[in-house]
Amino acid sequence: MTLDEIRARAAARRDACAQIKKMIVTRLDIPIDPEWITDDQPLFGRGLELDSLDVLELYVAIEAEFGVALYDSDLAIFGSVSRLAETINPDLLPAAGS
Amino acid sequence: MLFADGSVALVTGGSRGIGRAVALDLAREGAHVLVNYARSEQDAKELVSQISQAGGSATALHADVTDEASVRDMFRALRSEHGRLDVLVTSAGITRDRHLVAMSLSQFQETMDVNVQGTFLTCREAMRIMQHQRRGAIVTLSSASGLDGGFPGQTNYVASKGAIIAFTKALAYEAAPHGVRANVVAPGFVATDMTRVLPSQIRKQYESRIRLGRMARPEEIAGLVTFLASEKASYVTGEVLVANGGGLG
Repeated sequence: MTLDEIRARAAARRDACAQIKKMIVTRLDIPIDPEWITDDQPLFGRGLELDSLDVLELYVAIEAEFGVALYDSDLAIFGSVSRLAETINPDLLPAAGS
Repeated sequence: MLFADGSVALVTGGSRGIGRAVALDLAREGAHVLVNYARSEQDAKELVSQISQAGGSATALHADVTDEASVRDMFRALRSEHGRLDVLVTSAGITRDRHLVAMSLSQFQETMDVNVQGTFLTCREAMRIMQHQRRGAIVTLSSASGLDGGFPGQTNYVASKGAIIAFTKALAYEAAPHGVRANVVAPGFVATDMTRVLPSQIRKQYESRIRLGRMARPEEIAGLVTFLASEKASYVTGEVLVANGGGLG
């Protein structure tokens, strides 16, 4: 990858993560600044402490905002904002061999 | 008008029978009606034209409700075109009557596929929109036979209609926290193509036993669907509204 491509991919990831954080905070009515959620912070358990009902909200929110329909997905995709961003947009996944 | 300007209603199996009457009634009450059809494209387009000429608003929308990809495509088009869904009526349904000992697996499966799987697939996609909206009303069409066992030759049909009742009740309880209501209309005998194919002797035999002395007209069932879909039923969810002329005496 060229330097410009790396920068473009980083910007795309940053934007996607920002949009996801805002979606989480808005749809789940969490009274925090979206920026307080870090990209790799666990969304469940000791991280943001989301639960299984919150996942149901995220299913419909992701489809409404990103046009990506998830069904019976491996819950690991909700592991972090970063992981979710890669599921929604597979182009954000690290290139093979990088 | 029962429905606010801009309201969108989807009626599966909307080109014929009860679905057709429901589409007409919802349009009369102000909803833009999406008339879903699987094979009856001509009927669907004629209905859309009839609704338009009467001052209402409707569009024909194709999907095979038994096919997951087809249903998803229909809802993708719905989201893209309208961005909202206020009412879903699942009227698509079939009969494949046969006494159990002679019933083929395909007759059983086909009935379950259209009546139950079709209801599941359309309700699932509708809920993904309605839950996001925090509002919506779903009305599923079952049958009084789903409660009382119907008549001989209908184990598949009755099983499917009973399943729709159970499914809708569970859906209602799941959907309630999201502002979405779900109810069932369970008609008895209705004068449609479905009952017209019954053997004449059986049809007359049962018709003579109905306490009100006649079959229902499709519009008599449509009115109940419209009621449950509207804000007039804003406190009703998880219910089964039986309309069978008093049942068989």
